[in-house]
Amino acid sequence: MFGKRRQKKQERSQNQSSGQAKTQLTFEQLMEKCKASKDFVSFTKSDKHPFTISYYKSMVNPDLVHKDLIPYLTSFSSLSLTELSQEIPVENIEHTSDVQTIMDSLLTGSVLVQSRPEKSNCLLIPAATAEKRQISVPETEFSVVGPKEAFVESLEVNINMVRKRLPIPELHVKEVTVGKLSKTRVVFLYIEGIVNMENVNTLKQRISDIEYDHILDSTYILQMISDNQYSPFPQLINTERPDRVAAVLSEGKVAVLVDGSPSALTGPTTLIEFFSAFEDYFLSWHIASVFRLIRLFGVFFSVLSTPLYVAVLTFHYEMIPTDLLGTLIASRSGIPFPPIVEAVILELSIELLREAGARLPSKVGQTIGIVGGIVIGTAAVQAGLTSNVLLIIVALAALASFTTPVYQMSNTIRLIRFPFLVFAQFWGLLGVAICSSFVLGHMLRLTSLGRPYLAPLFPLRVTDLKDALFRLPFNRQNLRPMQMRPADPARFNYKRGIEKNDIEE
Amino acid sequence: MNLQPKENRLVSPYFAFYLIHTMQVGVGVLGFQRYIAKSAGHDAWMAVITGGILIHLLVWMSYRMLKNSDGDLVAVHEDIAGKAIGGLFSTLFTIYSGFLALTVLRTYIEVIQVWMFPHINTWGISLILLCVVYYFVSGGFRIVTALAFFSLLLGTPLIFLKYFAVKDSHIYNILPLFDHSVTDFFVATKTMTLNYLGFEMLLLYYPFIKHPEKSEKWSQWGVFFSILLYTITAVESFAYYSQGQLKHTIWATLTLWKIVEFPFVERFEYIGISIWLFVVLPNICIAVWCVTRGFKRIYSLKQKHTLIPVLILIFAGTVLFKDRQQIDLLNSMVSRAGYYFIYFYIPLLFVLHWMVMKVRRRKKDA
Repeated sequence: MFGKRRQKKQERSQNQSSGQAKTQLTFEQLMEKCKASKDFVSFTKSDKHPFTISYYKSMVNPDLVHKDLIPYLTSFSSLSLTELSQEIPVENIEHTSDVQTIMDSLLTGSVLVQSRPEKSNCLLIPAATAEKRQISVPETEFSVVGPKEAFVESLEVNINMVRKRLPIPELHVKEVTVGKLSKTRVVFLYIEGIVNMENVNTLKQRISDIEYDHILDSTYILQMISDNQYSPFPQLINTERPDRVAAVLSEGKVAVLVDGSPSALTGPTTLIEFFSAFEDYFLSWHIASVFRLIRLFGVFFSVLSTPLYVAVLTFHYEMIPTDLLGTLIASRSGIPFPPIVEAVILELSIELLREAGARLPSKVGQTIGIVGGIVIGTAAVQAGLTSNVLLIIVALAALASFTTPVYQMSNTIRLIRFPFLVFAQFWGLLGVAICSSFVLGHMLRLTSLGRPYLAPLFPLRVTDLKDALFRLPFNRQNLRPMQMRPADPARFNYKRGIEKNDIEE
Repeated sequence: MNLQPKENRLVSPYFAFYLIHTMQVGVGVLGFQRYIAKSAGHDAWMAVITGGILIHLLVWMSYRMLKNSDGDLVAVHEDIAGKAIGGLFSTLFTIYSGFLALTVLRTYIEVIQVWMFPHINTWGISLILLCVVYYFVSGGFRIVTALAFFSLLLGTPLIFLKYFAVKDSHIYNILPLFDHSVTDFFVATKTMTLNYLGFEMLLLYYPFIKHPEKSEKWSQWGVFFSILLYTITAVESFAYYSQGQLKHTIWATLTLWKIVEFPFVERFEYIGISIWLFVVLPNICIAVWCVTRGFKRIYSLKQKHTLIPVLILIFAGTVLFKDRQQIDLLNSMVSRAGYYFIYFYIPLLFVLHWMVMKVRRRKKDA
């Protein structure tokens, strides 16, 4: 049944695309269509001049047109188009009569030059303006030490930031255009000789299979090429740090940059990688390892603490030691609600605060945080709506969820605690275990570009553990992760790396 | 016809360790002490070891058999008895696997009902647990293996809880050694069999192990680890409880957890039973997987089509067995079937297969 439906769909989409091909415009129709927009300019300097110039005012660099184009056109008015293209000091001038090419180039900021004697031919002179933001400090992946550059919205600048960190010809940049309306340029980068081409091909295949009208950010791509689009877990890493991209490229991963997006995608990835901040590599390995473990603990704490509170206080109060029981009773004695209601109220209000803080401008957002955190929290406890023990737990859990360095993942963690809460209310501790087993099963079934998501834990890859839960010193990182099946697994010569002299040498 | 699974569906040889071990440690370990102590008293812990050694031998036999047939139990049956009769025996084995899953699930639910939620309905908890089973088994053998791996990771630390009991135990309780007759030992060894059951699922998932001949040493280690775990538990329990006390303690291991005390948590058995879900799940999943795989091999039914009916049958089974007596009956029935299967049927099969292969080889040479 589904097979048939899919077939029909395919037929329909094929019809659509062939329909598009049929309505091939003539040159005159194209001009008419373009002139309908107000920012399209088409003019001839004077009647004696043979050249007509047309372009989208909003897409071209006016300086270039005024200083480098029009003077040449007026002074070489007797030349043919071919000769003219040799005189104008701009590279990559196209000499064509193909309407499709003309349309594409005009819309990406080329200047169209026609000559009266040669009706059918024209010149396309690239003159696109690149309006771009200044390179700024990474905001979502801030690091105290280390480089402070983040990607911007311009694809060229982003590629430049990666390439200047990896100045080797093996760094390949391949481009695909996706999006029926947005015609977004999507670029993927990899280092030949290190990367496993299977990963590159999978990624290329998936990106070129994308069927959508507009692609405005790399996160669109992230969701569309995920192995399991129904999963709440992100299956590729989204990063705004060019140094992180350079590092993972040299591990044999593939990176995707999207024009207009200030973040790159890298993959294949694993669950553990979402909890490694790039700053881990700037700090000494002991510190980095401890921080990573703290972050992992944060995840477990954030997901499990409130459900455990609900489970224990609803069903298993025998578990609380006598000394602790007094504290709990004192804090809960005046509360009119069962633990689950109390927990849901607090969890929801924390989510509200977070959402309000994220939507508002940063100055107001801070105020909201303080107002919400201190005033509402204190008031709720004093009013006897929630217990202060739970308030502490929920606030800590929220804090813990923000330790995850990748934003998408920290949102996922905040989301999945709600099913845990429901299960805890129904079946107590057993419910928490059941829900955990569902999550475990889900993560076991997930893949990232076809590679297992829970590696290096399962399948167990002991060599990859050196940079997973903890990070060993650099001289132990002689092998690239096996997860990517790199074409060249060795980073450096291990023996030379650990060569040591005798005491007295 | 040999349905060789695809390369990307196989698991590495060392996973045989987890598969064998988790299948052997299930609900049995929560309360086996009373049963083996019935006949051999404080010497019963030695029956744990002798029973284990026999299992080593049976695993060895199974491997010889499987290596020669280049397949699974269904192929072995076909070699010996032809397609029709062989298929019948394979079906019996498949049904037995289903009952194994049912026993484990029902007993675990009983533990929940006795220890955690006295009034909980069987069908509700059974339904949700079978949903989890469905989720894992529909992911395929690799996912089931992964579950076995994580089960060991989560379950094994519980053994350290024995420390709390060590403080209050008297090692003299297990002395004097060899205080019982050989028959007593034999009976205790036989009773111990139920706990070691589960390794025979190897006969069906064997082709799913990459380079299966290399996995033998891992399987043997798996058995060894199970013996170790059971022996520690048995010795510890016999040292902690007196024999009179043990007679009245149905879930001796669970009762040991009760004395665990941390500054922030008491009554550890609630946590223990919840974590035990991860120990029980792979048992059920592997057995259910074997049922569907068995039907695929014998009748060429698609696994995704048989999975749901099998789970529905198991669900019906859990609701059917209502009280302690019935569950005990189920347990003893399955353990008797398993006992005959592993101690009589596997050696018989081993000898028969060996003879058949010899005859065939001779025919080929001639």
